Amino acid sequence: MLETINVSKSFKGKKAVQDVSLYLDNGESVGLIGPNGAGKSTTISMISTLIKPTSGEIKLNGANTINKPEKIRKILGVVPQELALYQELSAYENLKFFGSIYKMKGNDLEKRIQRALEIVGLADRQKDLVKTFSGGMKRRVNIAAALLHRPQILILDEPTVGIDPQSRNHILETVRALNEKDGTTILYTSHYMEEVEQLCDRLYIMDYGEVIAAGTKAELLSILQAEDTVKAELSKMDEAFIQQVKTIDGVRKAEASHLQLKIIAKKGSNLISELVHLADQHQLQIINFHTETPSLEDVFLHLTGRTLRD
Amino acid sequence: MRSFIKKDLLIFWRDRKELMTVLLLPIVLVVVLNFAFSGLLGNDEESGMDLQLAVVNQDDETEAMADLQEKLTREASLGESEAAALVEQASHADPVQMLFDFLDSEDVTEIVTVHQLEEDETIEKAQAGEMDGILVIPNGFAADSLYAAFTGESPATSLVFKMENETMNTSALFQIINGFMEQMNFQFALQAAGSEPDAEVMLPEGGFEEVEAVESHSFSLTQYFTVAMGALFSLFIAATVATKTGEEIRQQVFNRILLTNSHSVLFLIGKVVSTFFLAWFQMMFVFMFSQAVLDAFPDRSITFWLGTIGIVTLLSLSIAGLGAVFTAISLRVTNIDAANGIFFLVIILFGVIGGNFVPVYVMPDWLQQIGEWTPNGRALVMLTEWIQFEELSSIIMPSMLLIGFFLLCIVIGLILFPKRGKAS
Ligand SMILES: Nc1ncnc2c1ncn2[C@@H]1O[C@H](COP(=O)(O)OP(=O)(O)OP(=O)(O)O)[C@@H](O)[C@H]1O
Ligand SMILES: [Mg+2]
Repeated sequence: MLETINVSKSFKGKKAVQDVSLYLDNGESVGLIGPNGAGKSTTISMISTLIKPTSGEIKLNGANTINKPEKIRKILGVVPQELALYQELSAYENLKFFGSIYKMKGNDLEKRIQRALEIVGLADRQKDLVKTFSGGMKRRVNIAAALLHRPQILILDEPTVGIDPQSRNHILETVRALNEKDGTTILYTSHYMEEVEQLCDRLYIMDYGEVIAAGTKAELLSILQAEDTVKAELSKMDEAFIQQVKTIDGVRKAEASHLQLKIIAKKGSNLISELVHLADQHQLQIINFHTETPSLEDVFLHLTGRTLRD
Repeated sequence: MRSFIKKDLLIFWRDRKELMTVLLLPIVLVVVLNFAFSGLLGNDEESGMDLQLAVVNQDDETEAMADLQEKLTREASLGESEAAALVEQASHADPVQMLFDFLDSEDVTEIVTVHQLEEDETIEKAQAGEMDGILVIPNGFAADSLYAAFTGESPATSLVFKMENETMNTSALFQIINGFMEQMNFQFALQAAGSEPDAEVMLPEGGFEEVEAVESHSFSLTQYFTVAMGALFSLFIAATVATKTGEEIRQQVFNRILLTNSHSVLFLIGKVVSTFFLAWFQMMFVFMFSQAVLDAFPDRSITFWLGTIGIVTLLSLSIAGLGAVFTAISLRVTNIDAANGIFFLVIILFGVIGGNFVPVYVMPDWLQQIGEWTPNGRALVMLTEWIQFEELSSIIMPSMLLIGFFLLCIVIGLILFPKRGKAS
């Protein structure tokens, strides 16, 4: 329903986002992940019509949104990375203001405000000024403000940054419920891989302004699934045994230090039975043995040579 | 639209500290300045002025005593010796001399520069606007005044005070000369009473004629401070509101507003209306406080107050327009802090050339003329004139200009107002 086609954005000649193409299907939950400065917020700002792309197209159901932002704004809920709230007003007053400029009125507005506050679990604190809230509570009001007009697409830009685990779980649960129960399409930005893993059906990995990988979790993991890492603990050290292991078909690397043996081998090679057979021949036991499964963090590491967070 | 206005006013209301500062600072300054200056200058309200007075002396002093003697013997039928005694006494009290002594005195020279000129020369200079007033001493003035003092009759001739235009300066001059006349008449009365215990001495009335007389009230220092501080601080509200816009951008709420598809003009209207109300209340507070505590405008009519409220309303309107321009600029620039700094500078500049910091007459003419185009300068002139003369006709044109200023600002604000997010 929503797609960007090769969108790029330069700020004073410096490229912030380059040729980003992504799409959101109705009811999907999609993650956008990348380290600081990857261009996530810039991409989101372009999708939500707050910044005009330097080049490229953004389409909602096939219609270009760049010069006609009204349509997409109507169905879009945006939770910006920075709090977009009046600190001097109460949670209720904030919602009332934003709701009324969405042209909601009276009873309907009142119901929606209460519903939004319930969703984020702040109904009992609604009369308090936003500036008296904790960081997590502010972020929840920030989300509530994007829910008032019941958007079909909800874009969240790092909604859990810098808050306590409890608020974080609450937010994640809220987003999941919106997606699963209400059918809201979600675009969720984060640099916490585990959040995106939990929430999203599909994800895009961005780095230096570009999408460097995209797909379902399984698809992304398969990038690393050409190889397995096996670790074995041996009963005694035997150099001849190590040399033999290196000759096993599919083994790329075998390293031993003390009694630990680390083997990197091509996926699907007949490693384990060969290993047991060789150990028998050299009269040593394999005390402990395990295969490590790569995580999405490993995928990121593999793709960029860096970890997501420093 | 109501939501925007309500939001803006609510935000000001919440920041009670700022609201109090905005409302109380001008009042505090009026009080402080008022006491500081009245103490310093001994209530000399016109101090610091430089008034140009042309004096045309048509009286021949050498003949004055002879004239007086002749008048006393012929018209008052006094005996020769009696008349001579009076003339002798009068020769110590030549009114023309007294007038010049008075004009030469330190108190007066501080604020009045006297030019002794011939009549035609004077008219030229007055028309060129170089003179604030002309004082004509008619032929026979000394003799007539003295004669009147001795007989208690009204004098046949009197001083003539002329002016090209009625301004604050001319009325100040008028007050000074009037003061002299009263003082002189009083002295005459004392002298006459002392020398002639039996004679019926009357204080000569008039002796001083005001040409183109308009009923006017004096303009006090307290009034000046009230008007100047009120207008100055209301200007700052335009900048304060723009600062709030800056905060809305920084806090990203402006983006959120954009996303609601609400018409951008509504945002601007919210700013304009809240600026208007704040400026209006602030100025009204200053006036009310000055009146209640300092008795700045004693015994003034309802009409006076209605006019004052009208002028305050018009000034608030133009300040609201200025707020619209500042708001639109805030939404355009990349560096909001720099913009805010510039807004305050612009306002200080407006304040200076508009005469809110120092009275305009200490500034060069060309600057005064520019100053009249600032809304605060214009309103200041309107208020000073209104306070003195209460003439509706004198404020109609400037009112139009203030409304024009407001409309112009709104148009500029709308043109500058961005359609998209800031970073586009
Ligand atoms: N308004 C702007 N003017 C100039 N440069 C900008 C602007 N906004 C973003 N950038 C630059 O564009 C790049 C991408 O920034 P962006 O905010 O999109 O990153 P991000 O992925 O959201 O990072 P983070 O995880 O820290 O939020 C950065 O190098 C940033 O400095
Ligand atoms: Mg970001």
